[in-house]
Amino acid sequence: MYGYIIRRLWQMIPTLLGVILLVFLLFNWVGGDPAYVLAGKISSAEQIENIRRQLGVDQPYYVQLWIFVKQVLTADFGASWSTNEPVSHIMTTRLGPSLTVLIPYLILSTLVAMGLALAVAYVRGSLTDRAVMIVCTVGLSISILVYIIVFQYVFAYKLGWFPVQGWSDSFGQNLVVYGSLPIIILLVVSIAPDLRLFRTFVLDEINHDYVRTARAKGVSENRIMWVHVLRNASIPIITHVMAQVPGLLIGAFLVERFFSIPGIGREVILAVERSDFPVIKAITVYVAVATMVFTLLADLMYKAVDPRVQLK
Amino acid sequence: MSLRASRRKLPGSPRSSRRNASRVMRSALCAATLLALAVCVEVVAADMNKVVRHVFPAAEEGFDPAAAHDLYSGTVEQAIFETLLTYDYLARPSKLVPLAAQSLPEVSDGGRSYTFRVRPGIYFSPDAAFKGKKRELVAEDYAFSLKRLVDPKIRSPWAWLLEGKIIGLDELAAAAKKSGKFDYDARLPGLEVVDRYTLRIRLKQPDYDLSYVLAHEPTSAVAREVVETYADVGGRVMANPVGTGPYRLANWIRSSKIFLEANPEYRGFTWNFKAGSDPEDARIVAEMKGKMMPQVGRVEISIMEEDQSRLLAFQNGELDLMNLEGPLAPMVMNGASLSGEMRKKGVKLSRFVDPELSYHYWNMTDPVVGGLSKEKIALRRAMAMAYDVDEEIRIVRNGQAIEAQYPIPPGVVGNDPAYRSSVKHDATSANALLDRFGYKKGPDGWRTLPDGKPLVLRYASRPDSLGRQQDEMWKKALDSISIRMEVQKDKFTELLKLEKQCRLQMRTASWIADYPDGDNFMQLLYSKNIFQSNNACATIPEYDKLYEQSIRIPAGPERDRLYHEMARIIETYAPWRLGISRYRNMLIQPRVLGYKKHPILHSEWQYIDVDTTGKGG
Amino acid sequence: MPFDKPQHVISPSLWALAWKRLVASRVAMVSLGIVAAFLMLIALSASGLIAKDWARETGVNYAPPSFLGEDIEQAGQPAAPGGPISASDKPTELPIQDPLADAIADIRGEKKAPGSEAPSGESQTVDPLADVMADIRAKGTQATVAETRASTLPFGADKWGRDVLKKTIKGSETSIFVGLAAAFVATLLGTVFGAVAGYYGRWLDDFFNWFYSVFTAIPYLLLILAVAAVLQQKGTLTIILILGLTGWTGTFRLIRGEYLKHKGREYVQAADAIGASNGRRMFVHIFPNVSHVVLVQLSIYTVAFIKAEVILSFLGFGVPVDVVSWGSMLNEAQNELILGKWWQLAAAGTAMALLVTAFSLFTDELRDALDPKLK
Repeated sequence: MYGYIIRRLWQMIPTLLGVILLVFLLFNWVGGDPAYVLAGKISSAEQIENIRRQLGVDQPYYVQLWIFVKQVLTADFGASWSTNEPVSHIMTTRLGPSLTVLIPYLILSTLVAMGLALAVAYVRGSLTDRAVMIVCTVGLSISILVYIIVFQYVFAYKLGWFPVQGWSDSFGQNLVVYGSLPIIILLVVSIAPDLRLFRTFVLDEINHDYVRTARAKGVSENRIMWVHVLRNASIPIITHVMAQVPGLLIGAFLVERFFSIPGIGREVILAVERSDFPVIKAITVYVAVATMVFTLLADLMYKAVDPRVQLK
Repeated sequence: MSLRASRRKLPGSPRSSRRNASRVMRSALCAATLLALAVCVEVVAADMNKVVRHVFPAAEEGFDPAAAHDLYSGTVEQAIFETLLTYDYLARPSKLVPLAAQSLPEVSDGGRSYTFRVRPGIYFSPDAAFKGKKRELVAEDYAFSLKRLVDPKIRSPWAWLLEGKIIGLDELAAAAKKSGKFDYDARLPGLEVVDRYTLRIRLKQPDYDLSYVLAHEPTSAVAREVVETYADVGGRVMANPVGTGPYRLANWIRSSKIFLEANPEYRGFTWNFKAGSDPEDARIVAEMKGKMMPQVGRVEISIMEEDQSRLLAFQNGELDLMNLEGPLAPMVMNGASLSGEMRKKGVKLSRFVDPELSYHYWNMTDPVVGGLSKEKIALRRAMAMAYDVDEEIRIVRNGQAIEAQYPIPPGVVGNDPAYRSSVKHDATSANALLDRFGYKKGPDGWRTLPDGKPLVLRYASRPDSLGRQQDEMWKKALDSISIRMEVQKDKFTELLKLEKQCRLQMRTASWIADYPDGDNFMQLLYSKNIFQSNNACATIPEYDKLYEQSIRIPAGPERDRLYHEMARIIETYAPWRLGISRYRNMLIQPRVLGYKKHPILHSEWQYIDVDTTGKGG
Repeated sequence: MPFDKPQHVISPSLWALAWKRLVASRVAMVSLGIVAAFLMLIALSASGLIAKDWARETGVNYAPPSFLGEDIEQAGQPAAPGGPISASDKPTELPIQDPLADAIADIRGEKKAPGSEAPSGESQTVDPLADVMADIRAKGTQATVAETRASTLPFGADKWGRDVLKKTIKGSETSIFVGLAAAFVATLLGTVFGAVAGYYGRWLDDFFNWFYSVFTAIPYLLLILAVAAVLQQKGTLTIILILGLTGWTGTFRLIRGEYLKHKGREYVQAADAIGASNGRRMFVHIFPNVSHVVLVQLSIYTVAFIKAEVILSFLGFGVPVDVVSWGSMLNEAQNELILGKWWQLAAAGTAMALLVTAFSLFTDELRDALDPKLK
């Protein structure tokens, strides 16, 4: 077990190197020159050159790459080019709001989609199953932007059930008052694809021999569904949910922008707009590391859920 | 990290502000007034219960006047720091008045020497950097703050305000570049601190715009102790603004919320501005006259990037002031006025044409569209005539803009509202002109160059929805004269770089007045500004000659005459096609009193009041 | 791999069986019919038989759909600051001189502006084209043929007055083409990489796995933005490449798994025995047995990429200005919706929802038909 974890951690190094190389290639080499934006409305060639020197982007590429590698190793990405805010401070302060929304959302969406998937799989092939699947497919074809615009207008503004936007210092208030509508929107958007996916996971299991055996032994259908099938279907479901987490940090940017949540996704878009490379690079590397760690965690959780899974 | 250490020093929450309220009142009670004779009356100024909630559509960078670059940081800086000069709140067109200076500067030596006397008795807001001592604002603070703009380490985006102007300053910056250390103690002949309160600025050549520069927030006074205490590796103090202005930073959640509270050390002033020709002014004067300022104790600024969120928040009463941007206008506006629904709520509107200009330029050094030969001029003029500004205003701008007839927009000294451009939308003439100069149509229906080579225009634009609409506008224009067009899409940073290097062919740019003088716009085509602000990379000898004459004389009819000629040169040589100037529509909740958007000033919180008796508050 | 299915040997009649199952399913047939209708439509539009003149401005700006009638425009107009209001914004434009007066002035080389008494003599020759312009203006005042524009169109007009129906048809062509082509690129890359990695194993497997983990570790949004920046904006092809180059990872994982499974099977060993080359074994022997996975992937990607094109348009990396797609239409429609001009959103949105739904349902049915044990 520990050997496995160590080996998996060891394998992350080449991946991380690949990420570093790719990120470097994308931003330092072909990512454009931020000096002209930072230079202000009227700038001379001399000023541009001065800015490039201050930022260190006038150095040869191998030197810049080495600096970047050192930044990753020390987890110190310096400060934002436009605000001078240390990148570490950006990460720590923006992560909280993002997670305040994302963790409740993930828990709720997994539970709801899993329950529905089991229920739908229970009546598989029936009209209800078909109808639910068609509704899901239609729901899938609508952009998240439409959901946000309509929900904010109707539920927050017209009906006044939620604040239109906002964020406070208090965690409870954020979760209950400000976070609820964003969570609901994310939930509505994700239920359709999750349900479709989880249904196939469940169906996958139902067709296994052990289910037939259990049935033959006279185990009740309820018990088969909620105990046997659920336990086995939860493996791919967990993988799916875990794999989602890091991407969601950034993927939730639309919700964060519309509801003024000071989270990571909003910061990324802001950094892209400002060509603030230290921030973009840091967030990319952090998210990449998180992706790798979460994949490992997911694999370890298989083991916990299903002892038959062999970790190689 | 010096920043990390300093973060803790910010007062934690608005809770701490209530404690300060009484001190504010006391200090303001008999304070010397800025604009009127001091009348010692019992007035309650800066009521901490009076809150103005404002919104920014984009995140701020930070509050170092020398380093922050964006409008929103500038807006906050204006409330915290003070420049030597400022603008009269109500006077239109904008009029300079003293702020930290006692009076407007004495200009001598034919516009080469400016003498300012700093008003004694102005104090910085208390900060740990002053080690418990009361710190008075002196002339040396301005000399120090101006030097910071050219310090290479700070890489200030505002260096151009002073570059090439003040005697000895450029040399000091050059020396710092070599040695790596900027000598702030150097005595410069151009920045002479005559005595504690007197600053004399000497210029290399006459410059009538220096007063405007000294009303621009990058030239605000910062204290050297504060910079030395909080500066980061780049010499910047983004998170610890300590100024002499009416407000101070109470709490700051970066790119999300900014809380300001009244500065207890602020001297205050009595509201005594004169109504102008605008009928609204009378109401404003009636609401405000004689009040001790500032009245508003706290300012809460939220950052909301999305149009819909801002508008809904305003309509929901969560915001007191909001600038209505672009595509939202039709939702609450009915042409030039507010919709019935908004008026019923008592919402007020402050509306005027922004001192900005959008213009379409051609790169004058480009082999296809550039140059001063007749056939190239004809090509550019044909394109200029093919463009339908009217349609842009109607469809793209939803009617919230006016056509620019003159390179200097309204609200800027030198603007001539009577001037009419000779360039008009006329595709027939444009086609005839191209026919005349041998731009023949090929078998595929597209025009070729006179020498038979293919003619393809490259229009550069940003990858956003406005960029797409501009593409469509120009595509339609060039289709109407059978010129093939390609779009060059690039990130803003990349476009800016190519533009500054004269490597774009054609783009739509816009310029917002830094200060309300026509020179700020007319310099855009001066050939010495190529690679700097002359995006069209134009060298037109006639224009240069007139421009050089124009900077030697102060604003007035003589300069206007030169500007008229220069405007006509722009039309005839067509390095530009003038575009539009947009309207600014500021929405104001009924509880806000005395608000009028100023075309140049960014923040007006110190000039307004809120009605706490009504439902708001 | 968690997806440890019992191993089935796929019989050669799999396709025939699957087709039989598809025909039996009503949902599959209806959705196939809708998809086929769309394909017909885009074939017609691609050959120029319909919607060729989509870019022509045949209606007035924002002409409403015919079924609403013209009166709605009258009612809707005052709310939107259209023509009349912008006219009232600029009454100052009225005193513009007669074009002929302008021409005469130009011929004489004098300026109308009060700058005419400029001191310098050289500036007399300010306009090098004065005579030409004067001539043109003298002739060019004949009235241009004013196009009459329809006040309503079958499904309304966009802001420039272009027919929304034609735009939707043309947009379908672009979007479906982009979706199919990008799906093809992504599936091809995923299949080839997956086949090579799964079949050869060892360092090739390690290499492609490394490549895969690097690609999946970087947030998709940033990857798209970065690839878009690298490829620059060259047109529809760029979009196909952006989507194709970033989307191959899912197929890679599946195909690699399939090849790992298949390469040990008897039939592959038999092929080895008769001396089939590696390439032959990979693509002639194994591939037909995994092709159903590829087909399902292809259709999943098509749907995903049609939707992704909308997001790309939202981010500003959409189709060029002389091309229309559902993404570009939906993007325009957001601003129009505020003005109460909902028809472009409705047209593009409905067309897209219809196709995407039909395609997804068909994909589901296809998967079920090819993998009957899921039933």
